[in-house]
Amino acid sequence: MTDIATPTPVRIDSPAKRIAKQFVEDRIAVIGLILFVLIAIIAIAAPWIAPQNPYDLMQLSIMDGGLPPGEVSMATGQTFWLGTDPQGRDMLSAIMYGLRISLMVAVVSLTLAITIGTIVGVSAAYFGGRFDSIVMRIVDLQLSFPAILIALILLALLGRGVDKVILALVIVQWAYYARTVRSSAMVETRKDYIDAARCLALSNRRIMFRHLLPNCVPPLIVVATVQIAQAIALEATLSFLGVGVPITEPSLGLLIANGYDYLLSGRYWVSVFPGVALVVTIIAINVVGDRLRDVLNPRLQT
Amino acid sequence: MTALLDVRDLQTHFMTRDGTARAVDGVSFTLERGQILGLVGESGSGKSVTGFSILGLVDPPGRVAGGQVVFDGADLIAGGEKAMRALRGKRIAMIFQDPMMTLNPVLRIDTQMVETVRAHETVSRAEALRRCREALVQVGISSPDERLKSYPHQFSGGMRQRLAIAIALLHKPDLIIADEPTTALDVTIQAQILSEVQKLCAQSGTALIWITHDLAVVSGLADRLAVMYAGRIIEDGPTADIIANPRHPYTRGLIDSVPHGKRHGAMLTQIKGMTPSLLNLPKGCKFAPRCPRADAACQVEPALTPRRPRPPGALPPPPCRRKGHPVTPQPSLQIDGLSKRFTKDLDIAERTARRLGAKVAPVTVHAVDTIHLDIRRGEVLGLVGESGCGKSTLGRMVAGLTRPSQGRILYNGQDVATLKGTAARDAALKIQMVFQDPMSSLNPRLQVRDIVGEAPRVHGIVPRRDIPAYVERMLEQVGLDPSMGKRYPHQFSGGQRARVGIARALAVRPDILVCDESVAALDVSIQAQVLNLFVQLRQDFDLTYLFVSHDLGVVEHISDRIAVMYLGRLVELGEAEDLIARPNHPYTQALVSEIPTFETGKKTYHAIKGEIPSPLNPPPGCHFHPRCPHAHDRCRIEVPALRAVAPGRLSACHLNDQA
Repeated sequence: MTDIATPTPVRIDSPAKRIAKQFVEDRIAVIGLILFVLIAIIAIAAPWIAPQNPYDLMQLSIMDGGLPPGEVSMATGQTFWLGTDPQGRDMLSAIMYGLRISLMVAVVSLTLAITIGTIVGVSAAYFGGRFDSIVMRIVDLQLSFPAILIALILLALLGRGVDKVILALVIVQWAYYARTVRSSAMVETRKDYIDAARCLALSNRRIMFRHLLPNCVPPLIVVATVQIAQAIALEATLSFLGVGVPITEPSLGLLIANGYDYLLSGRYWVSVFPGVALVVTIIAINVVGDRLRDVLNPRLQT
Repeated sequence: MTALLDVRDLQTHFMTRDGTARAVDGVSFTLERGQILGLVGESGSGKSVTGFSILGLVDPPGRVAGGQVVFDGADLIAGGEKAMRALRGKRIAMIFQDPMMTLNPVLRIDTQMVETVRAHETVSRAEALRRCREALVQVGISSPDERLKSYPHQFSGGMRQRLAIAIALLHKPDLIIADEPTTALDVTIQAQILSEVQKLCAQSGTALIWITHDLAVVSGLADRLAVMYAGRIIEDGPTADIIANPRHPYTRGLIDSVPHGKRHGAMLTQIKGMTPSLLNLPKGCKFAPRCPRADAACQVEPALTPRRPRPPGALPPPPCRRKGHPVTPQPSLQIDGLSKRFTKDLDIAERTARRLGAKVAPVTVHAVDTIHLDIRRGEVLGLVGESGCGKSTLGRMVAGLTRPSQGRILYNGQDVATLKGTAARDAALKIQMVFQDPMSSLNPRLQVRDIVGEAPRVHGIVPRRDIPAYVERMLEQVGLDPSMGKRYPHQFSGGQRARVGIARALAVRPDILVCDESVAALDVSIQAQVLNLFVQLRQDFDLTYLFVSHDLGVVEHISDRIAVMYLGRLVELGEAEDLIARPNHPYTQALVSEIPTFETGKKTYHAIKGEIPSPLNPPPGCHFHPRCPHAHDRCRIEVPALRAVAPGRLSACHLNDQA
């Protein structure tokens, strides 16, 4: 044909590239991202990089109990950069292992909650009608109770355990994702490309997951980053209150709780350093999440 | 006497991430008192920015980088913001495309108008109100006292635009700049506004700059035209002269792109390619890459020279490529008594009130009201009507996207609603839709090859391994470079996206294409390209079209038969050329008379009166009677039946009984 349209002369970046470009314009967000990556690496690699395994009683010496930061072990000669707890556990190692538990619980519960919330939210938006009303009323009900209250009740009924904490976090959090995904899916469902897909006789499942869902992802990413920080904080709170993870697998929250008793006797490091690690983790994630929200929000884009 | 407005070498630049875009690049023109100038161009040509620059309303990252705007002897740009503010609204007024944006939705009209009066003059509130009333009457708004106490949302689109014009007129300005003020309005309302504006300018001696993409609309209104392309004025002269004898190939192309009045069904002469990006302009003549007559001389930027008479026949007449297309009389699709009602469910408060004995009835809108219509195999059936007439709902029901409340759709004699399983799927695939908005109708997360290739792959229309080649062939068919398959929709221009949407529909081998305002969102030159593509594809794929549009000019060009809808009912149906030449129904007559045409000399608009009634509360009897010049008592009571008034012509009007 004669009227082959000429390719557009101006290069337009792919969405991912544009988002990356805009993300790095904020220096604090970049620092947050670097910090978060570092924390994640430490958590994953803890068994290999930690100076000792804090839960192998063979490696502990009661003689090292309660040493302040920078002291040298009397038994092995290693330096305890962040001090030790009364059982002679290296706090640095304990924090590394604690991070591992905290992040694991948060990531697993996040993944499950996102999966459930997304399926529910997309289906509610796509099918609408009675299904939508019922599901969204359940979501409303769930969100009207404070998360900590629901989690406390659940754990009181279920007992302690990593799996039970994860279950409690999923139950508390899926509703956020369901509501977020539903609202963006409602907007997308009304667009012509969904009608076009229906016109092409594609199956409902294909339309929902291949056409609708990918277009609902940006707000989901934003909520997920905020929620993962909340999940970490919530898990820490539960563990601090003694209903969370068991004493054999201490997370950051449990470390803080354990050290709490020694705060008044001057051994601040047992509680404060895990607290600092928790705060840094949450702040890093929040900074990244905030920036992502700015970059992904279509209303702020020109 | 000096000119009222003298724009000299105006430069407005926008600083972007990727460089400086020269949106207005050396624009010069003059405007005499009382003159109407039509500033014409496609999107991105800089016409609106020119208007904004004159008023000093260019926002960062844009700025006026150079040139002079001399208004009544004073340079506005040198005068700065303060001088500008004293003039703005008082001696120069602006009318925008969307009046809802300029009216404050939480303030009553009288508050807003009185505020405008008193912004520039110290007058009493009573005096200001009197002026407001006067202005409303001037623009044809009846019962001004009542209207002044209303809020903007209580006005229809056309009324709001009248209001905006009334506000612009409050200070009897010397100059009004109107930016696409009728683009968002229905044709009958547009004609009303145009005739008001024409009258007002003649009465008050106000000069007007009418910015529009629609050469046909402005040609009936303006004394002079200035055609813009890529930030420059490329042709400037008296309207009649430019229309009759365009000297620039682009102007010629624009005129030829307008479908109305061209040979029916013929290929339109089109401007190839698309408007260049302002960041990446060609050297020399900006139009050269799209120009059919470009040569080596075009490497040098041509200057705007005074018009000289051109020897006639200097440009070759457009070649006609029309081939006859067979239309068989048997119907491919039968629409049998189809209705769609939308009922708003009662909410809890209303249900309770009803239980307590209050008379609360659910609100029902008859979007489509018992329509019988056959679409013949191989024909193009145009479906026209103004907004809210139900034409899109009818199209969506045919495409299977909206479930009818009543009636049947028969495809090859079979009721599509009764089909099950693969038979239902196959029938659904045979009727495809091409959507209006080329952006929202493509999934932004999928590459174009997936958008086009998905359905044929999923439904096994083409073997899986042949899909890439098939997709490439489809893209080629719609005039896209097959190598573009890897791109995402946002990397395409509007016209290209429309082509992708057509390729997607074609890929499942349909018989019938429902085109719902498929060219409405495109620039004229692109619209002509896409219309040509439709004509071409009809021959290549033996397609039948249901072409839904508000634009009778476009429908007339492409259709074999035309159906006219008004408030959910079919009012007239007939052969396209015959229907345009001899419309029977008064509504069709009104629509036909308002197709913008290039008539030399000023056109008088015979606007039909009144607003389009709300479909929530349609008038009884013939829906059209409140606006009809021939309405009599029977029209107010009895619904006219659609019946044959001539061979191949159906019309629903009581007047046919009297003759």
